[in-house]
Amino acid sequence: MTDFIFRKACLDDIPFLTETIIQAEKSGTEILSYKEIFGLQELEIRNIIKDILLEEIDGCELSVSSFLIAESNGVTAGAIASWIEGHFGSSSSFLKANLLSYYLPKSSIEKASGINHIINELNIDHLKDSFQLGLVYISNVFRGMNLVSKMINHQITEFKLIRPEINEMYVQVFGNNIPAIKTYQKSNFEIILKKEVSNKEILNYLPCNEKLLMKKNII
Amino acid sequence: MEREEIITKLTVIFRTVFNNQSIVISNEMTANDVENWDSLTHMLLINEVENSFSIKFKLKDLLNMKNVGELIDIIKTKIS
Repeated sequence: MTDFIFRKACLDDIPFLTETIIQAEKSGTEILSYKEIFGLQELEIRNIIKDILLEEIDGCELSVSSFLIAESNGVTAGAIASWIEGHFGSSSSFLKANLLSYYLPKSSIEKASGINHIINELNIDHLKDSFQLGLVYISNVFRGMNLVSKMINHQITEFKLIRPEINEMYVQVFGNNIPAIKTYQKSNFEIILKKEVSNKEILNYLPCNEKLLMKKNII
Repeated sequence: MEREEIITKLTVIFRTVFNNQSIVISNEMTANDVENWDSLTHMLLINEVENSFSIKFKLKDLLNMKNVGELIDIIKTKIS
């Protein structure tokens, strides 16, 4: 049996966190939403994500402090991003939007304006004062070891020390990502909302035209 | 540029970005008060404000902005 240690991410983890963000955004496909929506190459997106992570802004999925790392014998096995929504005052979505606004070229943001009406149909707001699970990535060799559940439980324990009154965690997942959905169900998340966009053009920009909101009640 | 002029110009931007000609902006207004003010639309709004007023926000400006009133304050500082 493989032993893991869990620790908060630090700046040295940024290459692995960047990979986590890229792979989680792809949701098991080759569609990287940042690349398609903003018309940039994957390498450019990776560099922007690294710059954003270096800002160390707390409270969203692009914050180093949101990441929990799992390690086995000094090897990074996986990472999850989670946070307490609104804990630092601003919503995670707007923190992320402000970071991207600052770092993306203006031409990329202008490109996105033409498809905003399609993309925002799939938007699901994050509930203030709830635990949010944002991004999950486990390296191939460490999959099938129930690592995600262990990391989620570890993170919930940490969050409960800060906000004991919060009793729910949410995760948003694309409908095509069956392995992720099953993993979350094993961790007692239940699907509570489905959003679907009928305009198939959205598949040019996102991995799937369906998004699910899953909820875990914490006892 | 006076505050009233900024508000007039911002109103046009808001109505265009949110595709809603009935929006009336106020100092206390936040994203919670405007339909479809999500993260991508927020980016488009910031971009449009920067272009229209020929300014560039600092990251700390963006992160500290809590409502439209503070947006107006920052614009006023930058263009004065």
